[in-house]
Amino acid sequence: MTLSAAERTSIEDARAHLEREFGPRVKNLDIVHGQLDLTAEPHNLVELVTFLRDASGFHFRFFTFLSGVDRSEFGPEDAENKPHPLEVLIHLYSPDNVLHVNVHVPVDPAEPECPSISKVFLGALWHERECHEMYGIHFEGHPSLTNLYLPEDFEGHPGLKSFKLPSRMVKDWPGAKDPEEAAAGGR
Amino acid sequence: MSLDEKRVTDQTPVHDPAELAKMVSGANLVTEQMVLNVGPQHPATHGVFRLLATIDGEVLVDAQPIIGYMHRGYEKLVEARDYRQITNLVSRMDWLSGINNELPMHLCLEELMEIEVPERAQYLRVVMCEMNRILNHLMFFASFGAELGAITPTFYAFREREDIQFAMEMATGGRMHFGFFRPGGIREDVPKGFFAQALKGVRQVMARLNQYEDLLVGNEIFKQRTIDIGHLDKEIAYNYGVSGPIARGSDIGFDVRKDEPYLVYDRFDFNVVSAPNGDCFDRFWVLIHEVVESAKIVEQAIEDMPSGPIMGKVPRVIQAPEGEVYVRTENPLGELGMYLISDGDRRPYRLKIRTPSYNNVSVLPHVLKGQMVADMIAILGSFFFVLGDIDR
Amino acid sequence: MPFEIHLTEWQILFVKLGIILALVPTMTLVAGYAEHKVMAHLQHRLGPMYPGGFHGWAILLADGLKFLYKEDIIPERADKRVFSLATFAIFVPAVMVYLVIPVDRTLIIEDLDVGIFYLLAISSVSTIGILMAGWSSANKYALIGALRAGAQLIAYELPIVLSAAVVVMLSGSLSLVDIVEAQNWPFLLWPPGIGLIAFLVFTMAGVAELTRPPFDMPVAESEIITGAFTEYSGMRFIFSYFFPEVANMVAFAAIGATLFLGGYQPIVPLEFLEVIPGIVWFSLKTALMLFVFLWIRPTFPRLREDQLQKFAWKILIPITLALILVAGAWVLYAPEAVR
Repeated sequence: MTLSAAERTSIEDARAHLEREFGPRVKNLDIVHGQLDLTAEPHNLVELVTFLRDASGFHFRFFTFLSGVDRSEFGPEDAENKPHPLEVLIHLYSPDNVLHVNVHVPVDPAEPECPSISKVFLGALWHERECHEMYGIHFEGHPSLTNLYLPEDFEGHPGLKSFKLPSRMVKDWPGAKDPEEAAAGGR
Repeated sequence: MSLDEKRVTDQTPVHDPAELAKMVSGANLVTEQMVLNVGPQHPATHGVFRLLATIDGEVLVDAQPIIGYMHRGYEKLVEARDYRQITNLVSRMDWLSGINNELPMHLCLEELMEIEVPERAQYLRVVMCEMNRILNHLMFFASFGAELGAITPTFYAFREREDIQFAMEMATGGRMHFGFFRPGGIREDVPKGFFAQALKGVRQVMARLNQYEDLLVGNEIFKQRTIDIGHLDKEIAYNYGVSGPIARGSDIGFDVRKDEPYLVYDRFDFNVVSAPNGDCFDRFWVLIHEVVESAKIVEQAIEDMPSGPIMGKVPRVIQAPEGEVYVRTENPLGELGMYLISDGDRRPYRLKIRTPSYNNVSVLPHVLKGQMVADMIAILGSFFFVLGDIDR
Repeated sequence: MPFEIHLTEWQILFVKLGIILALVPTMTLVAGYAEHKVMAHLQHRLGPMYPGGFHGWAILLADGLKFLYKEDIIPERADKRVFSLATFAIFVPAVMVYLVIPVDRTLIIEDLDVGIFYLLAISSVSTIGILMAGWSSANKYALIGALRAGAQLIAYELPIVLSAAVVVMLSGSLSLVDIVEAQNWPFLLWPPGIGLIAFLVFTMAGVAELTRPPFDMPVAESEIITGAFTEYSGMRFIFSYFFPEVANMVAFAAIGATLFLGGYQPIVPLEFLEVIPGIVWFSLKTALMLFVFLWIRPTFPRLREDQLQKFAWKILIPITLALILVAGAWVLYAPEAVR
């Protein structure tokens, strides 16, 4: 239940508090479109998320989503400030204070690894599985990082920009093509 | 009927298999666990949904939902389409609330492009969304009854849906998927007779709701099958991100329409329905009473409908400037949010769609553990989810 | 009769067989059609309207014809002999029950001295049939359904038998014709309360025995499709499940009317009503009971299996046991004038 307007932490207060506690460890702490927005490091992530969930005045206890963003083709080719090419995006909400926070976690595109926040937010279990199969990001500490949507033998990570959406190309059916083949053991 | 009247007495089933075994013979019964596949083709699951259940006698030891049978790759598809194409595509996620799915994306665009939507368009959007909410809730009323064996409410609910669907067809041409919203307003103004038909449909639902309550909610057998079944704890709900009528049945009183009003919801007088116990009965109770609140909103909106343009000042080519924003709305099933990352193109760079049923269903293993197999159907039915929403 | 017909015993037997084989399917068709229409109107719709032209009276004939054309599939791992025999074990008792039902004072296939006893014994044979069907199907869902059905049927045999026993005690005979004769108007309400409670128990237990809603957890629980009969298709399905269920329903309605409502006796013992033949009264009363069974179906959700069992063992059986004591006391000690 939301607290009354007087008891709620305002977004400026929340930002100030966050800056005090985590100051040097987070970057780009800002208020964008009425929501807190910050960039964290993978090794700080679990601590930050636990703090956000439990600290008084914050209570970001509602897990909204966790997803990946592939920014490798963002903006024109020759721009100066290219954003970090791969990141994990976590969005949390505080029902008491009606506050939102977006946490961006840049991840190394060559070896995408990020600690799992599933111990802090159980809802992240499924979201991390989906992020893994779509973007190839490995979440350390996740109990069973298997495919959620796609079949087990799917090759590639469809979420990445490098995986082109085949508009007119038809992919061959990978399994058996007629009943005899299926009876003989094809899929 | 108030919530206090609904409590029944003793419901203490023994759910621990070891205890059950001891009760039966006192000796050490060696029982084997059976793995039962519920779905993907099954009358009780709403669509192609598979539940891998491990049962020991009649008790569920573990239940893992396996999804993805309907995965269409929305997040990849929308990256190749412009915003008007996405409107129709996104309508097919939660197919029972077609127009509510279109809303968050338009709100994102209007926020980024700083378009002001005229009043009449806002009011009409509210009317459409709330009518669709009634349609959605009536559908789940029908299906929940049918899963428990009460086959009659299905027909009554569909009878009520007809009038409202007719009204929506008058305005948009569709009964289930509408494609009615545009960035900056709506596609076209509503025809003459729409308001009369909408009011007729909505008032009929309100008038007949008592019948429905008596038919199901007051039924002793129904109460025995749903009270104290499938308890969802409030903190667990927050932790998993459960929202919508399911969360409000667990004593969570948040509703995006009240907490962060979008469109013109702050001008209407309606209550947020919530129930304290978190069992199947409470979730269902919340569902029915939300219909009344939606009907109130529709009535108020039609009464106060301003006249004026239905489309704001929008450039010819819809291109959102660079930026990112997360907008969430109250879909009938929960919190539907869209995180739009735009790089100035006609198409979104990345549109993350956060659907309510996805989080709502991820909490199922927690809720189903230790329940009886016969209750599994009641619990699955009370977790109002739509496959298109989960699988996107 | 204006002339006398002399038939040998064998010829009489064949005539009786013919009557049963003609009567039972007809009753089934009529009851099935009634079910369609009653349920439809309760659900604010029309029901079958096209087959046969006039309000769809031929719907079940059309259904039967459709099932005749279906492929008879037996699962590969099923026990074929038991699978086939299960159908007989369910179907035959459903027909045999009709042997002793008194349609009029002299219109009865066979007036057995142990009428009611025979009735109850035969109708419980179908339990084994359901277990056979579920076991032999090689399907987990069928197994669950069969076991649930078995437990339910055994549990609800007792209230039926005990409430019938109350009737037997009050009328002093096991023969159904004697039971009807022993009933005076008002049929249910005298002896005070005993008959009414026994009737209610009998009706509720009867609905459960037929595995009809709200006690249809073994068959129509959305999770186990048709329970024990999931793997049956085509005519096998009709003869295992649909036909026996409806035939049994009509039989129970008839038995209920016989035991408690006065059978073929007129509703009120007035002179001018005696002219109408007993068969009409019997049909009316059976139709009334049938309507109650059909009415209950779309109205209530299902009871869960353990609630069902609790209802039988903890509520219905103690009531009937108490009722027997009271009935016995009545028979022994009630003064003559009151009987």
